[in-house]
Amino acid sequence: MTSPEIHAQRITPAELQAVNFQRAPLGRRGFDEDQVRAFLGQVEQELVRVLNEKADLENEVGRLRERIAGAGPDAAAIQPEDAHIQAVRILSNAQQTADQYVADAQRYSREIAEEARRGRDEILADARSRATLVLEEAHRQASYAAEQIAPSSEPMSGDERRELEREIAYLRTFSDVYRTHLRSYLEALLRNVEEWETSERESLSGTRAALPRMD
Amino acid sequence: MDAQRLKDNFAQVAQHGDAVALFFYSDLFLRNPRLRDMFPVGMSTQRDRLLSALGRIVSQVDDLHNLVPFVQQLGRDHRKFGVEALHYPEVGASLVTTLRYFSGSSWTEELARDWTDAYNLVSKVMLDAAQQDSSVNPSWWNAQIVAHERRRFDLAVFRVLPDRPFAYQPGQSASLEVPARMRMWRSYSMANAPRPDNTVDFHVQLIDGGPVSPVLVRSLRVGDWIKLSAPVGTMTFDERSGRDVLLIGGSTGLAPLKAILDQIGALPSPPRVHLFFGARYVDGLYDLDDLQKRAAGAPWLTVIPAVSDHDPGAVAEHGTLPDVIGRFGMWQNHDAYVCGSPGMTDATVDRLLNLGLSHDRIRIDKYADA
Repeated sequence: MTSPEIHAQRITPAELQAVNFQRAPLGRRGFDEDQVRAFLGQVEQELVRVLNEKADLENEVGRLRERIAGAGPDAAAIQPEDAHIQAVRILSNAQQTADQYVADAQRYSREIAEEARRGRDEILADARSRATLVLEEAHRQASYAAEQIAPSSEPMSGDERRELEREIAYLRTFSDVYRTHLRSYLEALLRNVEEWETSERESLSGTRAALPRMD
Repeated sequence: MDAQRLKDNFAQVAQHGDAVALFFYSDLFLRNPRLRDMFPVGMSTQRDRLLSALGRIVSQVDDLHNLVPFVQQLGRDHRKFGVEALHYPEVGASLVTTLRYFSGSSWTEELARDWTDAYNLVSKVMLDAAQQDSSVNPSWWNAQIVAHERRRFDLAVFRVLPDRPFAYQPGQSASLEVPARMRMWRSYSMANAPRPDNTVDFHVQLIDGGPVSPVLVRSLRVGDWIKLSAPVGTMTFDERSGRDVLLIGGSTGLAPLKAILDQIGALPSPPRVHLFFGARYVDGLYDLDDLQKRAAGAPWLTVIPAVSDHDPGAVAEHGTLPDVIGRFGMWQNHDAYVCGSPGMTDATVDRLLNLGLSHDRIRIDKYADA
């Protein structure tokens, strides 16, 4: 089933799990998809629990009826079958708890990973825009310096020429310095990222040798 | 055996959803505690699979022509889990107990007989197929990592050397199991045609919060061993069609297409091939260098990278794969091979059909999302 339908039959947990809502048309506001999914998950679990209980009770009723019908001297004793069903119930509960833990751990790990991914994208975007800014600034200053020399067709005095050359030299240095800053900023960022990765890897599997590259 | 009676009974039982599979496994493990070890700690996925396989078998119980191949594959698949003939009656007993429990008062002797007959039939087909497979294939291959390369923080390409010859068709996939995640098999496509040295490449994209892919991408090291199941899959190259070829891969969906590319490259006169390789960002085009190297040496091959989520400039086309393919014109006379996420493959196949390509000329391999 791919879309919610109204039907005479009862809704099943499987249908709740498989339900897929159409996206709201552009410009219309919709609910937060994750919230809807999380809620559906809760409803599904609750439904499974209720159905489970119902099946248990139906069975209980059936067994009690049988016992009354064939009431003999040992009717009150616990039947081996009852004990087995109880054991199944206990094991099922334990499994459901384990499943819940696994699901929680996976969700937690997914959330952390998604957050880290967002963080990485932001850092990269920030670095890119800084890089652009720095380069633009250096470029603007350098062009300005060039314009200062080019349009003046009049012969320049020696003092003026020396002054301008000094300015060009200054700006060249300025641009070099900017580039160096930029480079070290980016390298620091990269080192940061690599440190994170190394420490995470170490925490995952202990320290190990570096990998050979595949050709 | 009354097929309709089985279907009606299963429909009634299946209303209890997950509880049915939960009861089944608890009953199975209580009767046979040693079987618990063949399953992962978390069982939710396992239960979903059981219910959907049962549902499929019951719905086709009177359509043996379609049912038998599915059940045979099921039998072969179960070899890698270490399932043996002696396990089948144990599973059958728990299955009937479960069905009886959830049928309540509507359970009858006839139903019990029907279910037992049906189960015996299905398990015989599974066992026969497993038996037959065991004369050709081991239950699994042990394979050692010989190279591992992180192409991006969340994407790796690695190469394994299986411990004995591993025969497969380009375009097929195999299930992998890593020691750090026992009992959790995940399917990945072989990214090369079989080589004389028997090595096999795999491409893995890390799925946030997934249990297996982070291990494959981040923790696997050269020298580690993994298990490899027998190859499966039908997205194989049709050598006899003679038509030109359109290969469309989203992210690591590229892997099986590279295997097909190897196969085409070895033909005496290869058809013309257009390979579209798509990613959301430029750094997702993790294998573009190799593809462009191949294209430079192969006049029959054109590689078109596409990036959807930002303008990649001159590096690649800007747009989703379906959009870019649409821009590039006429594909009616091509055979198309499409591999990627469900969203990507669905949208691409829709577009190809719109562009006039017929369904029987499109072969698809849809990757699971998790």
